[in-house]
Order: sequence, then structure tokens, then C-alpha cells
Amino acid sequence: MELLSEQGLRLDGRRPEELRKIRCKLGVFEQPDGSAYLEQGNTKVLAAVYGPHQVRGGRVKANADSAIVNCQYSMATFSTGERKRRPRGDRKSQEMTSHLKQALTAAIKTEIYPRSQIDIFLEVLQADGGNYCCCINAATLALIDAGIPINEYVVGCTASLANASVPMLDISHLEETTGGPSLTIVAMPLSKKIVVAEMLERFHVDQLEKILNLALKGCQQIHAVLDAAVRNHMTEIGSASAWGQTFGT
Amino acid sequence: MASLMLGEGEKMLILHGVEDDMRNDGRTRRKYRPMELETNVVSHANGSARLRLANTDILVGIKTEIDCPFPETPNLGKIEFFVDCSANATPAFEGRGGEDLAMEISNSLACAYNSFPLDQLCITKGEQCWKLYADILILECGGNLYDAVSIAVKAALSSTEVPKVVGTVLDGGTVDLVLSDDPFDCQKLDVRRAPLLVTLCKIGDFCVVDPTAEEEMCSVASMVVSVLENGTVSSSFKCGAGSLHSETVKEALKIGKEVGQSLNQELEEILLEEQNLGPKRELFGFLK
Amino acid sequence: MPVDSRRLQGPETTFSYHLYVNKQPQTHSQWVKQVLKSNGKRSDGRKLDDIRKIFLKTSVMSQAKGSAYIEVGNTKVICSAFDPREIPNNNKFSLNGELFCEFKFANFSQKKRRGFIRDAEEKDLSVCLKRALEPAVCRHEFPNFQVDVYALVLEDDGSALAAAITCASLALADASIPMYDLVTALTLGVHGDHKFLDPTSEEERLCCHEPPGQNKNHGLIVLAYATELQQVTQLKQIGVMDSEFLIEASNSLSSHCSQTHKLSQQCLAQVVLKTTKEKKRLLELGETFKKMDVGSQKD
Repeated sequence: MELLSEQGLRLDGRRPEELRKIRCKLGVFEQPDGSAYLEQGNTKVLAAVYGPHQVRGGRVKANADSAIVNCQYSMATFSTGERKRRPRGDRKSQEMTSHLKQALTAAIKTEIYPRSQIDIFLEVLQADGGNYCCCINAATLALIDAGIPINEYVVGCTASLANASVPMLDISHLEETTGGPSLTIVAMPLSKKIVVAEMLERFHVDQLEKILNLALKGCQQIHAVLDAAVRNHMTEIGSASAWGQTFGT
Repeated sequence: MASLMLGEGEKMLILHGVEDDMRNDGRTRRKYRPMELETNVVSHANGSARLRLANTDILVGIKTEIDCPFPETPNLGKIEFFVDCSANATPAFEGRGGEDLAMEISNSLACAYNSFPLDQLCITKGEQCWKLYADILILECGGNLYDAVSIAVKAALSSTEVPKVVGTVLDGGTVDLVLSDDPFDCQKLDVRRAPLLVTLCKIGDFCVVDPTAEEEMCSVASMVVSVLENGTVSSSFKCGAGSLHSETVKEALKIGKEVGQSLNQELEEILLEEQNLGPKRELFGFLK
Repeated sequence: MPVDSRRLQGPETTFSYHLYVNKQPQTHSQWVKQVLKSNGKRSDGRKLDDIRKIFLKTSVMSQAKGSAYIEVGNTKVICSAFDPREIPNNNKFSLNGELFCEFKFANFSQKKRRGFIRDAEEKDLSVCLKRALEPAVCRHEFPNFQVDVYALVLEDDGSALAAAITCASLALADASIPMYDLVTALTLGVHGDHKFLDPTSEEERLCCHEPPGQNKNHGLIVLAYATELQQVTQLKQIGVMDSEFLIEASNSLSSHCSQTHKLSQQCLAQVVLKTTKEKKRLLELGETFKKMDVGSQKD
């Protein structure tokens, strides 16, 4: 299957450096302290944040100088093309959970909340490639919605290589499974730091810089979209409550 | 759900409100909270629906698979319910925390759906049939889970498109099915015999429909009645640790039947309205 | 369903030979005739509203604190109840104690072999059993503790849940768990215009099947009733029927449950009588030994 046609278009009609359409919403639910919904193309993810609160469960001891970040990655059984038997608890989900924890612990200012726990729950409603990055982006939005202080936005993006020379941005499930290599980068766009880097398949080391730069550029683009959405949301909420102004004599 | 704590004063307020037919949010004992329903939210599934009943949020996805029918019932298809309590609802559902509740809900749905005609899912008698997997995802609990789940499941089933079987090929003893190539060439399911569950919560001396999470904490026993369109009851059970007087049971069943019938009617009208918007309607999902 | 890796399972695609036996009734009316004879009597000679003979016995297991055994016709259930113990894996405080019920069919109890691990139906029946017993137990007497009740169906010839509820309540009473009342339960099977009280498994199978014709009632109703409190502790109905019919059926079931309640009470009373007689006898024996001892010392 040709990943790139003669006109230079991908399977879904995008150009190689084009991101999928991102739509998001903050504050979807009322019960969690913060929640967000993010769509990147056909991948749909829900994130919910609870906390900071007391550490639950006697086994995990509370950390005396920082908060514990607890994540859970779960996929709905109808999210994939073929029905998934167990939503969570299998190896893949546990691996994703620990990667998410790694990325989000770098973002949150955990030293402000010693002896507490911050829970972040991700639910993938539809999986069409780039699940992990979509989860990171949704989690960032949910953390902002919950009002938990973070160092910076953490944004995730994937990149791949087509025809052994053309780098592609934000790959879908079909492009992932047709055997091309895939590089997942989670970065903090403003300080240009990389939090998580993961790669599948292989490509020549000379191509690495090209793909890495493209992925970082993608992160910046996503950051711009997310930032606009957050500002929009804050304007709406803020203006509805008159920016906290109190009226009276 | 379990993380709510009510003081004695709050409980008395709810009790007195129910007696005076004016609950905390101004509803009468028989009114439901406002609901939002949307079908075809998940594109990977054959049918899906999302229901928002005030604070309760349910997402249902229906997937179809080809399977062999049970040897005792060669002309019937199969339907299986799987409930997943997501940790989004409360941190207590993390890992396997929500399994007990999920098991109860899926068992009660399986009991209630004994009235659903499964012969429409049969392909070839004794060899192939459709198996429907109804996967229910509970995203937020605001009380009254049984009702919300049953409404969402019925809406999802009504929007399910089962691929049409165009032909069968006998290949050395095994039967291979030929499915239609056109993704829009599907058949819809007949959901007139799909029931809706109605929870009647006993608070004080009265039965209350659609309890909120706080009201559920004030009652010790509730009756859940599964009602069909024509008013017949397909399943009923008592849930909660308390007991009910026979008079209460009688009243609960009566109210349940009336409420269930009107709910069925409303749901049908709404689904028809949504269908009339045509295939080009804008899909909102969680963005609205 | 979880796979049991510690036991040898048979080959996966096997069918029960009952499917191939030609005794299957060909038409619906033939089937009804097989179950219900033309003179209004059922296949075992009972009338439509007769319950089967019941045998109840307590203290059948030496290891459990309290136990009971019930035989309703051919249905045999054995139940055991244990002392309150601390709830495992729980450090929350609760004002009321917990009841932990487990309902299990023995592998050989039904026509079709059941697995060792509890499947969804058995879990559902366990929850049903728990809900039926909870209102009758004085849960405030053992806060933070849980009482275990295990019910095992040795043979299922219809009405297994109802028998288990009656048996479990007797086992709890035998274990000296404080209770408000004894719970008894009964099943009613409906098929069209026929109402089978306390159905056998054949009759249950018929009732789960839809009769031909439009809008006919069919199904099973299990009702658990606490007679002294006059409260329904559990109602479980499956099948399709009118709500008026259901109301009427639950009323008649409650009155029949009161009759079974008398039996349970008698059984308990007999146990108490026997134990006091035994105690008295032992006391008297102790007195005679003491007298003998004193007598021998005098010599």
C-alpha cells in the first residue's frame, strides 16, 4: 500500500506535514475536578482529573515532599475495529499507563502538594492511531481545567517516514499498521524540552534529525491549537461570571 | 456515588420534600430530569448512543459478530451485555473497583432483554447467527443508573445497522457467508420489544421516579421494573438492603408501568425526530 | 468466562446427548399436555396451587456455626452460615455489618453440567440471595464485621433460589445470628392461563418459553417474604406479563409463604427443644457423677 501517492498526498488526503483536525472541549463533566475531551481526526479521548486529595490505599505510601501522580489508561471495548475483550489491565494498557505517568509527572508542579495524590483517568472512545499523544494532550487540558499548577503544556505528536525519505506528521492507525516506523515525541513546546520519546520499527540514523524536528514542529502547532481552546474556554467561563467582579456599593 | 456524605438535616429535607411532592430540584415525584440523547457517536461501532441524564453520562456501543447459535436454540441469535464502570466517574472505580456494580447492571439487562426477539439475528438455522455485543461505558454517575443505561441501550440498538448477508457459499462442508459490499446496505433491528428499566426508589412512604444520587442515599429499598411499549413487564426485581411492604410493591409496579409506557413513547418520538434529520446531520458527540 | 486452569476440562465443542434424544415434544400443545394433564393435575399428581412436600433439618454440618438442609420435592439445597468475622481488605468504618452470600450450583445438579467457577447467573443469584436476607438480619449488632453464608444446590428440580433463601435464613438462625424474622420464599410459574405454584424444572422450562398467540403472560416470579414483619424482602420476576397479574401473583405468593414460615419456625423450635433436653440430661448426669464421687470419698 502506497503511503504517499504521486501527487504527494497521504491515504486520507493530507499532505505529509499536515496535522489531523483537532477539536476539543474543557469541562465536559461535573463530578471530576477537571475534565476534557479531545478529538484528533478519528481518535477520541476523554480525560478526567481528580485531586489533589488524600492518598488512597494503604499500600502506596504518601510521598513526604511531592504529590503522587496516579494514571489509568483504559480503552472502551468498542473503540477498535475488532472488539476488545478487556478495557484495561492488559500489558499494553499498563505500559501506556506508566508512560503517561512519566510524562505528566514532569509537567505537574508536584512539590506544591506533599503527601497527596492526583488521579488522572483516560478513556479512549475511538482509537485511530496516535492514542498515546491524544491522551497526553487531553490530560494537559484536563489538568488546566482542574486548576492544578503545571510547569508548561505537555504536548504529544507522532511522526513517521514514507518511501524512506519523506517525513510524515501525525500518523493514523492505517499508516501505523502498514509497517512504517513511528516516532512518538512528548515535549514541552516553549522550553523545547522532550519528556518522552518512543520509537517503533526502524529507520536510518541520518533520517532521525529530520523526523525529530518535524515532530517538534507538530508539537508546537498542537500547542497553539490547545492554547487557543483554553483561552476561549476561560473567556467564556470568566465572562459568564463577570470575571469574578462583585457588584454593589 | 459512594463518596457522597449526607448529614441528618439534609436527609430530613429530602424526606419532607418527597412527602410534599416537591423535591430538592423542584420536580414532582414522577418527573424525570432533562435528558440529552445522540446516536451514531462512535463510528467504529455498528450502532452507538450517548445519553446524558442530568449528571449521569452513559455511552453505548453495539458491535456485531458472526457466531454459532446455541445448540438448544438453533434459530435464535445472541446478545451479550458488557458494562464497564470507567474511573472517570469516581476514583473508586479504578482497576477492578467497579466490577460488582457492572456485573449487577449487566445481569439485570440480560434478564430484562428476555423479551427481545432474537430470531431476527439468525442467518442460517443451526449454523450461523449474529451475536450483538452491547458495550456500555458509564462515564459519570449521578443516580438512576439502571434507567439511563436501558434508555441508552435501546437507542443504540435502534440505530444499529447489521450488515446484510447477500449469499452463502458451501466450501467443503463449512459455510462461508458473503456480506454485501456496500457499507450502507444494512438492515435495522426491530426494537419494539426492547424494554426500558424504571427505578422506583422508596423514600419515606412514597415511591420516587428518577432518584438523584442524594435521594438514593436516603432510601433503603427500590424496585426496578422493566417495561415494554405495550405496558407489559418483562422483568422486575428489588434492589437495596431494605424490605418493602406488599402495598408498596403494588404501588411501585403500578407507577412503574405508567411511567415506563410514557418513557417508551417519548423515546420513540425522539428517535424518529433524530432519524428525520437525515444522514447529513451534524454529529456533536461530547463537543456540545 | 474465566478459564479454570487447575482442572482438566473436557473438549470444548461437546453437546449434551439430550439434544439428540427423540423424546422432544413436536408441538406446543403436546408439550403443555406432557406437563399438565387434562384433569388439571400436574405430572407429579399435584394440583396447580399445591406446593411440594418440604423436609427441613438444621445443624447438618459440624464445621459451620449454623447450617441447614432443605428438600423441596427433588430440589436439595444445603446452606451454611459462619460467625461474624472482620471484613477482609477493608479499613472503612460502617455502622452496619455486611452479609456475604455465595450461591453455587453443584456441577451435577442440573441436566447440563455446570462449571466449577461461578458464572454470571450464579453471581446474579448470589446478589438476589443477599438482598433477600439482608432486611431480616440485625446488621447493627455486628458493625464492621461480615457474616458469610454459602448455599450449594445439590439437585435442581425447579425453584432452587426460593429453596436456598428459606434454607439460608434457617442456617443464619441456627448460627445464632440476631435476626428480626425468618425469611421464606416461593416460586410461581406462569404460562398463558396456567399458574404453576412451586414449579419443577420441566414446568420452569415451559414457563420460560413464550406461548403462541399475542400477548400471553409467561415467566417465573420468585418472592421472598418475612411473615412476622409482613414485608416483602425480595421479588424477582423474569418473563413477560401484565403488571396487574404480577401484583395479584405477588399477593397470593405472600400468603403461601406464610405457610412455609410455620414449617421453618417448627424446625427451629424442635432444635431448641432438643438442645435444652440434651443439656438437662447432661446436667443431671453431672450431678449423679458428683454424688458418686462424694460417696466414694466418704468411704
